Amino acid sequence: MGDLFIEIWESVRRNKLRTSLTGVAVAWGIFMIIVLLGAGNGLMNAVMDNTGDVQTNTMMIGGGWTSKPYDGLSAGRRIRLDDKDVATIAGPAFIEHVDEVSATVSQSGTVSYGDNHFSGSLSGIYPGYAEMEGVKMTRGRFINPRDIEESRKVAVISTRNARNLFENTDYESCIGKRIKVADVSFRIVGVYQVNESDMSSEVFVPFTTLKTVYGKGEEIGELIFSFHGLDTEQDNEQFEKHVKAVVNQAHRAAPDDERAIWIWNRFTEDMQMNNAVRILNIALWIIGIFTLMSGVVGVSNIMLVTVKERTHEFGIRKAIGARPSAISSLIITESVLITAFFGYIGMVLGMLACMYLDATVAQHTMEVMGTQISMMKDPTVGLDVAVEATLLLVLAGTLAGLAPARKAAAVRPIEALRAD
Amino acid sequence: MQIEISGLHKTYTGAQPLHVLKGIDLSIEKGEFVSIMGASGSGKSTLLNILGILDNYDEGEYRIDGTLIKDLSERQAADYRNRMIGFIFQSFNLISFKTAVENVELPLFYQGVPRRKRHERAMEMLERVGLTDWAGHYPNEMSGGQKQRVAIARALITYPKIILADEPTGALDSKTSAEVMELLSHINEKYGATLIVVTHESGVANCTNRIIHIKDGMIGEIEDNSAHKASMFGAATVMK
Repeated sequence: MGDLFIEIWESVRRNKLRTSLTGVAVAWGIFMIIVLLGAGNGLMNAVMDNTGDVQTNTMMIGGGWTSKPYDGLSAGRRIRLDDKDVATIAGPAFIEHVDEVSATVSQSGTVSYGDNHFSGSLSGIYPGYAEMEGVKMTRGRFINPRDIEESRKVAVISTRNARNLFENTDYESCIGKRIKVADVSFRIVGVYQVNESDMSSEVFVPFTTLKTVYGKGEEIGELIFSFHGLDTEQDNEQFEKHVKAVVNQAHRAAPDDERAIWIWNRFTEDMQMNNAVRILNIALWIIGIFTLMSGVVGVSNIMLVTVKERTHEFGIRKAIGARPSAISSLIITESVLITAFFGYIGMVLGMLACMYLDATVAQHTMEVMGTQISMMKDPTVGLDVAVEATLLLVLAGTLAGLAPARKAAAVRPIEALRAD
Repeated sequence: MQIEISGLHKTYTGAQPLHVLKGIDLSIEKGEFVSIMGASGSGKSTLLNILGILDNYDEGEYRIDGTLIKDLSERQAADYRNRMIGFIFQSFNLISFKTAVENVELPLFYQGVPRRKRHERAMEMLERVGLTDWAGHYPNEMSGGQKQRVAIARALITYPKIILADEPTGALDSKTSAEVMELLSHINEKYGATLIVVTHESGVANCTNRIIHIKDGMIGEIEDNSAHKASMFGAATVMK
């Protein structure tokens, strides 16, 4: 094996310029693959990070305006969801797919503690909300079923709220304190974590408490439920249509009215996003591989030139007893080594470029509708991509060397030796 | 008999098929020093290529030590060439980017001999042809005679059964030619290798013990030249 490398080194050394020029093409190909995938990963990581840990198999329903006249009522009527809708969704009509139903109702107002206050919104929620929306507790507990049952005046505030009201970051000390919202006093039972970039941070109180305290009657804000057994986009669409028909009819709206209520399906959205991510990933690989291909063609080309130049030498080698396989392995190994060597340079440069992206673009955030969104997060490639790229390089090198190697192995000694 | 050839035919196919060898019968004994003489186009080079397993033939038989050499795969042919045959060419055919000793080592490389052993044996061989001091030099730093001696060392290193020399003095001046031929006779005498020299120079042929004349693809006269008094020029013939 060592002898083989010495032979190859001799060959490469004689064609330094030609070899390195071709090598640049290969390095560029791998560089592109790594940078594209790194940037793609960064983009995806950022998107994932911005979405957080919410449960994905949930749907949210809210009231809209009717878009067509029905049952003697004109179009443009406001639809408000109410407790009956909650019962309907949780009822036998949808039992097959629906797991847990939760509703929210909200009220805006000034939240105060002593002299400190901020204007925010209260959300009346059920305990299941925490899991569906990915609410993470820092201290204390979330709203529990007994809070709902007894309509307790308890509240869960965000870390941000806590800092506003208590001017310190000792969240533990907030538990048990009483805050006032529009002359109603609530006891804090928990503090939840919010992203520093998240502007809206609501105060959670039990659904039932908010309703009774602020006299909301039957009306609710949004209806959220988790579901199972809807695996395809088609299933989901059909299910949504069914929900709309049933809820619409309860509000005397046309069953096929698309605007009477709105449904936001996290599951299909997530599915579409995953699809998009997959397609993006494939697209990036394809672009990268095509770029690499030009490098491969280049390597193949110089190997062909090399074989042509060395025909006489191969003739001598064969005459003194080199097997065809000895000649072709010489060429293929040379091709793989050139590809791998320059490929690795490209890979290292690509990784450096990813690190540069990480240090620049990934540190910037953009403000979109009151939320801080980072363009990229951790735009690097993993070990798996590095391994895949290495395999790709070896494969590419072998492919590049194949045709020249066959040509070299087919050299006929008598003809090669005559041509001098 | 070490080499036995019977009824050998060879035709080059092409637009105009060329019947080059028209039934050659030839036997050469182990340790013989023979020359094959003929004008250009007589078929002597083709015969040499077949003897060297570089080319195949259409009809007849060619045996080395009883082994039939016919329709071999490329790989088998390469192995036989490596172990049975040593080549000496008119234009030396040394690899230009390898030093003298590396060139001599090469056949052993293809036998899978470890590097150190290879080097030792190659140095020993260079010593026998008197080139120890030139071991580290590249071919373009050497004279024609030196290059041919490196080539001879390379041909000898595997201790082949047969050494084939194709116009070994064709590119050399008369003095060097005489030296090379002397070296070849010495090798023949000392190591008992079968030596077949293809030449059109009668001076060269006169150094050998048997002269086989080939003409129009057939064996002509076979002269016994053990007294080195070849018919055409006699004993005192100078090399060129």
